[in-house]
Amino acid sequence: MKLKHILTTTALSAVVTSGALADGHGWSLEAAAEPYAGTTVDVVFLLRPGYEAIEAMLPEFEEATGIDINIISHPYENALGEQVRDFVAGGDLDIALIDLVWIGNFAENDWIVPVDQIMADYPDIIDPDLNMDDFFPLVLNAFGGWNDTIYGLPFDNYSGLMFYNTCMLEEAGFDGPPETWQSLMDDYGPALTGDGQYAFALQSKRNETQSADSFARMLWPFGGSFLDDEFRSNLLSAESQAGLQFRQDLMQYMPDGIVAYDHAETVNAFAQGEVAIITEWSAFYSSVVDPDTSRVADCVAIAPEPAGPAGRRPALGGFSLAVASQADADEQAAAWLFIQWATSAANAVEYLERGGVPARMSAYEDPALAETYTFIPALVESWQEGVPEFRPRFAEWPEISEVVQEWGTRIMLGEVTIEEGATEIGDRMEAILESAGYYSGDKPLAQ
Amino acid sequence: MTTNRSYLVQIALLALIILVCVFPFYWMVTTSLKTQVVALEAPPVWIFEPTLENYREALIDDGVLQTLINSLIIAVSTTALALVLGVPAAFALARFEFRGKKDLWFWFITNRMVSPIVLALPFFLIARNLDLLDRHITLILIYLTFNLPIVIWIVTDQFRGIPYDLDEAARMEGASQFTIMSRICLPLAMPGVAVSAIFAFIFSWNELMFGLVLTRNEAKTAPAMAVSFMEGYNLPYGKIMATSTLIVIPVLIFALIASKQLVRGLTMGAVK
Amino acid sequence: MRGRASRKTIFGFIGPAVVSLALIGIAPLLYAAWTSLQFFNLTRLNQRRFVGLDNYWTVLTDETFWQSMGRTFLLLITSLPLQLALGMGIALVLHRPGLSLLKTLCRLSLVLPMATTYAVVGLLGQVMFNQRFGVMNQLFGGADINWIGDPTNAFIMIVFWDVWQWTPFVALVLLAGLTMVPTEIEEAARLETKSWWTVLRYVQMPFLIPGLVAVLILRTADTLKLFDMVFTLTRGGPGASTEFISLMIQRVGFRAFDQGLASAQAIILLIITIILAQIYIRVFYKEV
Repeated sequence: MKLKHILTTTALSAVVTSGALADGHGWSLEAAAEPYAGTTVDVVFLLRPGYEAIEAMLPEFEEATGIDINIISHPYENALGEQVRDFVAGGDLDIALIDLVWIGNFAENDWIVPVDQIMADYPDIIDPDLNMDDFFPLVLNAFGGWNDTIYGLPFDNYSGLMFYNTCMLEEAGFDGPPETWQSLMDDYGPALTGDGQYAFALQSKRNETQSADSFARMLWPFGGSFLDDEFRSNLLSAESQAGLQFRQDLMQYMPDGIVAYDHAETVNAFAQGEVAIITEWSAFYSSVVDPDTSRVADCVAIAPEPAGPAGRRPALGGFSLAVASQADADEQAAAWLFIQWATSAANAVEYLERGGVPARMSAYEDPALAETYTFIPALVESWQEGVPEFRPRFAEWPEISEVVQEWGTRIMLGEVTIEEGATEIGDRMEAILESAGYYSGDKPLAQ
Repeated sequence: MTTNRSYLVQIALLALIILVCVFPFYWMVTTSLKTQVVALEAPPVWIFEPTLENYREALIDDGVLQTLINSLIIAVSTTALALVLGVPAAFALARFEFRGKKDLWFWFITNRMVSPIVLALPFFLIARNLDLLDRHITLILIYLTFNLPIVIWIVTDQFRGIPYDLDEAARMEGASQFTIMSRICLPLAMPGVAVSAIFAFIFSWNELMFGLVLTRNEAKTAPAMAVSFMEGYNLPYGKIMATSTLIVIPVLIFALIASKQLVRGLTMGAVK
Repeated sequence: MRGRASRKTIFGFIGPAVVSLALIGIAPLLYAAWTSLQFFNLTRLNQRRFVGLDNYWTVLTDETFWQSMGRTFLLLITSLPLQLALGMGIALVLHRPGLSLLKTLCRLSLVLPMATTYAVVGLLGQVMFNQRFGVMNQLFGGADINWIGDPTNAFIMIVFWDVWQWTPFVALVLLAGLTMVPTEIEEAARLETKSWWTVLRYVQMPFLIPGLVAVLILRTADTLKLFDMVFTLTRGGPGASTEFISLMIQRVGFRAFDQGLASAQAIILLIITIILAQIYIRVFYKEV
């Protein structure tokens, strides 16, 4: 009953803006789910705060609907492989968990069902308060959309943010964080590095972290990109090279062995007071301000990522949930009910309070929340200016990412020069795109 | 002959070997008793207030216990099956002459050398078609591909070390080949059988690749569970080490109990 | 006289093992061979097609494949001699008379590394070799060695764990060989010469050869298969410094999803393994 109460009160504000008030009455989750009680829905989850938040809220949903959600937990690095195998084999998964760079892959293989199709096939289970316009448009399109079709609803959402240690900065005479990357290098770098402390750490481990958090993060602010308009490599352009050169130069202000740093190491180094500034996903907020895991909990402040010559281009990442086409009719309906519930505006604030990051604009309207969760203003700002194709989202990305991971780390280690590495990545990337049929015109140039 | 000094050297060497073998375990267990903040202390601390929180979390919240049970079921069954199939085959290879014997032996051994990477996807697709994903039986059967070769290899060598006269004598009294194997030769080959069982158990218990690809919830094995905490997002070292300790302990107990047989059975064909 | 048994009897003994291994082992292998002749990318199944030997050509001309193969053999020729030398030393120390309690304790300790789950070894490696909070740097007197993030050091670290885990196995196999030497022969030899080397070379060695061959075959095959420990410790990094052949195949097949190419790589790997095993057996093993 409590659930229903929250549902009606918080949903009202969303309903008013969408104009869906007329049919807002008479629909209830319980009633809509009735035909599907007893259905089991299989879904892959990660071991991250946003998933733990929903798991904690799950009993409410299961009780109201009688639907069982069977969660299969995987680390990020295994989650794609696990799902691809399952979909190829026509397996059990009823919901796809889609990182924004997987969407092209899943959509082109028809593994997922467009939202419009669900709406047409199962009109009775669509919550009148669904209100798609309430999602941040950038997030909805980047995480859940492909070729102008929306497949997934944004669920576990990130933006790159700059976390900085106010105590260390003050001690070094700075009264705020760097506005630009150049200033981070020229002013903050020398002043904050020394005695086992470092100005900055950029997670660069050889996995998706290298391509997403390290490589791409330095391309965009400097005006570079992976591909040009003809889908040829743009990595040798002056802008891309400048970005990669900047990353190389910045390494002098980072800890040794930064190529072995994944998120955990980077956040730990920050939390131990060893590194003054990091650019990390919003989701790490809770662990750096928690005194149990952080020595610098009282010194943490958050700002949007620094700007480059081409402006502010914060890293963008996150996951949507979509109904799997291999699921049977009951499972599809039950899966949709779960997705709709987990990403609903009504549940967004509770999700936030439990450690998740919702993509509902209405959830951030309450100014009091921004005082508790100090990352909110920077997050909202970042979601206004992000680049959806921060990493290309087409089906070939997993293969290309492997190439970027290998040669990106080799550049950082100095095993090859920036130019050699960029040439190598460019050639291999073009070979992959060639065999996919982009150059012969078989495939539209979509990313 | 032995002087005091060489005694001391021998003691020192033995102590060193023990230390090197045991230290990583010591470190694993102590890390598993640390909280996250203590585990990340630099330089590492040796004396601290131990906590069992990591074990509670791993066993109860994360379901490591179930994966241990799965691993036990799978490892014991596949070992037993490998012995039942492998011992008679080894006897035949050691005692009978037939065409293509050498090639057959080599084919058995080759199976031990195939990289699981080669077979993982084919197994996955086949298991999917037969509706055998996430079942214990699947891993039990697949693990035969490396357990059967090891049993056949070691036990064949043991049978060959047993004087043939014993067989002859028994045959005079009218014993069948099966009786000869089970009553005469098997008891003498026991060290080899035990060693191959130890190895089969260890290999199965520790296997990761197939466990990762072919199971999900119901039959998830302990090593597959251990790597699932490796989310690059947050590395709970204490919990990872607690899980590791839980995984290693059963196989250690088993190996230690059986270790008496190890040396006698590992002769790999050296014949007196 | 030896081995006179009817076909039926022979089949009764060996048939079940052959049939079950054939059923379980051969089908997937054939499937992999068939896959290796196709363009077969899991994420682009609509483009699946027969391409003949294209994948093999790609693999054989791929520089990174051979670099990875070279790295794997570098690991083999670094760690195997260390394992053999240390294993032999340990076996000889354990074979000496006296100190039976300590020796039993030592034999028990030797079982520990061997039995440790390989994936756990890698996890433990992450904890012990961390530059900042790892105990290894502390044991080296507060050194500041960057183990995991430096290509050379990472390779050394992998060698360390491989040697730690498998030297005991070599030691126990060799010890078993030493115990096979008839006591009277060994004692007679010791009366004639004081040199332990002479005794080892002429008296004990013949009994050690089969064990050594077994170790060679198993360690070679296992190095080519080496995956779990490296996967959990370095994942092939930094750069490609610890990307051994099995990690590479896993990356191509399960992360880039190119199953056709990965199968071709795997089959080439299998062929290399079998050739090596044949050589070892032909050269060292007299008969089966």
